[in-house]
Order: sequence, then structure tokens, then C-alpha cells
Amino acid sequence: MRNILLLVALAVFLSSFWVETKEKKAELHPYKLEYPSSFGSRFVIPADNPTTEEGVALGRMLFYEPLLSSTNTVSCASCHEQTKAFSDGRPLSIGVSGKPTRRNSMSLANLLWVKNLFWDGRASGLENQAVFPLTHPDEMGQSLEMSAKKLAKTTRYPSLFRQVFGTSSITGEQITKALAQFERTLISADSPYDRSLKGNYKLTASEQRGMELFMRGPAPERGVRGGNCAHCHGGAKLMQEVFHNNGLDSIAAADRGRQEISGDELDNGRFRVATLRNIALTAPYMHDGRFNTLEQVLDHYNEHFHFSPNLSHELRTSHNEPTKQRLGLTSSEKKDIIAFLHTLTDSTFIANPAFSNPFETKK
Amino acid sequence: MKTTIKRGLGSLTLFFFLCSPLFAQTLSVTGEVKTPLLLTSSDFQSLERTEVTAKDRDGKEHRYAGVPLTVILRKAGATLGGELRGENLSKYIIAKAGDGYEVLFSLAEVDTEFSGRTILVADSVDGAPLPQGVGPFRLVIPDEKRPARWIRELKSIEIRFAK
Repeated sequence: MRNILLLVALAVFLSSFWVETKEKKAELHPYKLEYPSSFGSRFVIPADNPTTEEGVALGRMLFYEPLLSSTNTVSCASCHEQTKAFSDGRPLSIGVSGKPTRRNSMSLANLLWVKNLFWDGRASGLENQAVFPLTHPDEMGQSLEMSAKKLAKTTRYPSLFRQVFGTSSITGEQITKALAQFERTLISADSPYDRSLKGNYKLTASEQRGMELFMRGPAPERGVRGGNCAHCHGGAKLMQEVFHNNGLDSIAAADRGRQEISGDELDNGRFRVATLRNIALTAPYMHDGRFNTLEQVLDHYNEHFHFSPNLSHELRTSHNEPTKQRLGLTSSEKKDIIAFLHTLTDSTFIANPAFSNPFETKK
Repeated sequence: MKTTIKRGLGSLTLFFFLCSPLFAQTLSVTGEVKTPLLLTSSDFQSLERTEVTAKDRDGKEHRYAGVPLTVILRKAGATLGGELRGENLSKYIIAKAGDGYEVLFSLAEVDTEFSGRTILVADSVDGAPLPQGVGPFRLVIPDEKRPARWIRELKSIEIRFAK
């Protein structure tokens, strides 16, 4: 009798756990992605990885988790620092091997709207993207299976994964899913430029002139001067998903860019047209970090680019002086454009506590 | 000797590898079609061709030659003409350029029988092949006031259903 009572008690005790886990799964709260209506909703979130408060919180921890590297010293945040709009300030990044990576660390902002990631667009979707840096021998250098194993041995993670994904064991796929959820929340939409559109900030005279030059294409026959920057970098998000050859080299040989993915010669030296959000924070510039300053970048577009065979059509055809081959902006015009580029720095984004290292105690 | 031959073959292969993409510039037609197509410049010569005169960005009139989009869509077996009714009116086209630039057309607006307009997939301008960076294929939409849908380096045409 006593045994039966004990058994019943045990059964009740165990079933309470079952109810608890079931309740926990039901407790997931959808994460509300907030962005200006002008950004639009041209994005797809995979049906098998909905964005939840709990998943985003887990993804944030994983983003700052050095256990995901073979040396336990490198996390995603090592090359994507929040204060630098999630870039790392180096021409090329340094991971577990100490050997520089092939390309410049990209800023992580508004990736919700990007379909094909990396400088060459080789990864479709954030879940797939995360696999590359996690496993590359010169980045974090660890298989997803090993990462899952290491996390399973901690006291912190098993319950969190169970809560978010409802399974008893941690998998590599779940790691990339949680990271993708966190990355979708990295929305930057509160720069002085954004605020000026809402009437909450007044651009200075130089910034205003810079904006006009940035947005306009030149038409010397009508006396219109412009930098035509917005042709490729325009739109509310200051980002379009296109891949161009911007004349960095006459022929891109060492790094052929998108050609390496497509095999198409027309893609030689074509790279992602980078977002200009927070551009003042993400030096050095270009896929190989060859330019240290925005001044050098402007000089490139205005004076120095190579006439590569598949040079971007806009670079080939935008001239302020009818007789000149290149853009032909004056030095004060370039200064104004740079002043405008500084208004794209979103100080709310780089200080947002929701994106910061969750393991650091607040000062 | 062997090495020389090998080397010779190697550089020959490299030569063809470097050249082949130039010849392999294609236009794909996929999606809601009976027969997906992969068209080359020489295929364009054997299709029914036409010419239109239209103003480009430079504000000047140019003579464009090529194949009407309707002809290409018919060859792929898209639902045009009499078949363009009912749910087929909720079909649309995504036209994509080499750099990833995309624009949309409704299927109805590109069908000459339906809308009365001729959209051209041009491969030549003023009697010469389209230059690199523009060709080998470009969409020309003569009656539009802004040429933002005149895609240069047109790579693909995909027909989809609005769902």
C-alpha cells in the first residue's frame, strides 16, 4: 500500500514536470520587430524559425559566447562590436588561427532585409550565413556539433534551448537559428538623418548640401551637380541588395568577388553595395579594408577608380563636368557629402542595451 | 615533353574558361511556364525580331532591335492572349539584372494583345550590339516616361503567381 502511495506521489511529481515543460513551450512570446513604415516589409522569416523574445535572448547570449570557438576565446562579437555598428575596425579580421580572414568584417544592421549575405552574397538567409564564421578555421573554427556538445555541458544553456526549441538536446541548427533571431532584431533607424525625415533634427547647411549631392545624379547640360551616391546606396534603408564592380582594380584577380560564386565573368570584382548606415563607424572600407577614411573613399569614387571592363554603369556615366571622364566633384562638395554621411550614425543603435553583451554586468 | 603538353592543355583550358562566360551570357525564362528557356544571343537571331524607337536616359531617340517580350513568353508557354483571364490575371513577372536589380511587371501589362504595348528584349541599339554593361540583353519599354524598368544586363525573367 505504502509502495502504491509512493508510486502515485512519484507519478504526480513527474507529471508536474511534464506540465511545466509544456507550459514553458507555450510561454514563448512573439518578438515585435519595429521599424519605420518606409523600410517596408520585403523580408521573409523562415516558417520554422519564428522570432520570439526567448529565442532572441538566447541568440544574444550565443552572439557573445566564446564557447562557440575552438579556443573558447572568440565570439561573433569579437569581429562585430556594437560600438562599431557591429564591425571590428580592422582591414581583415583575426579569429582563432591568428591568420587574417579574407575579407573585411561587415557591419550588422538591418540584416532583416538582406536575402543573400556576405560581400559576395553566397549565403541565403541568416540561418545559413551563421554556419560560415562559426566553422571557418580562421574565424571561430569549430564544428556545429562540437559547439552543441560544449553548450550541453554548461549549466546555463540546456534549459534555455529546451524552452526555445522544445527539445531535450541542443543541436547545431538550433544555434544558428537562435543567432539568426537575434540578428533580425538589429534594426538601425534612429540616426540624425532618420530624425530629420521626421522633423526632429535639422541638418546643418553642409549636411544639407551633402544630402542633396548624395541623392542627385549630375546633369551638367542642365547645370545640376550631384554625386549620384543614392543610385546604389539610396532608399529609406540606404541599402539595396545589388552587387557592383566599383573599379577598385582593373581586373579583380586575388579576390574575384561574386564571380567566385556565379562563375560568370561579368561578376568579376563585383561585391555587395554596402549599407551606408553607421558608415562613419565602420572603417576601414571596402571588402579588403583598403581605405582607412571616408575621405579616401570619396577620392576613389571621384578620382581614382579603375575603368574595369564591367565597371558599374553609374560610375562610368556620372560626370559633373561634360569634358571629364570621372565624377568631378570639388573638394568642398566631397566634404559636404562626408558631413552628410556622418548624419547616418545611429547612436541609439550602438548603445541599445538590448544588443549589448548580456554577460557583462552593468557599470 | 609530357609536361609541356599538359601545360599547353592547361592554358588552353584556361583560355576557354576565360572566354566561355562571354559566350555563355544567357537569358533564363522560368516559373509559371510550360517550357523553361535558356536563350543565347544566337537564339535571339532565330526568333521573330522587331525594332522600336525610344528615348533613353540621355533624352535622345534610339533605334532598338531585338525580340518582343511577348514572343519569348509565348515560346516558353506562358498564359497570354486568350488564356490571360481569371486567375492568370494575378500572375506577375520579376525581371532581374546581372547586379541583382529587380523590377516587376504584371503579366497582363506586358502582353501586347492585352495592353497594346510592345516591350522589347533588345540586343542591339542603333544597329550595333549593346555594349558591355548594358547588354547582351536589355528591356526597352518605349512608352514609359522614366526608364527605371529598362533593365540593363537582363539575366532572368520569372513568372510567378501572386499568392
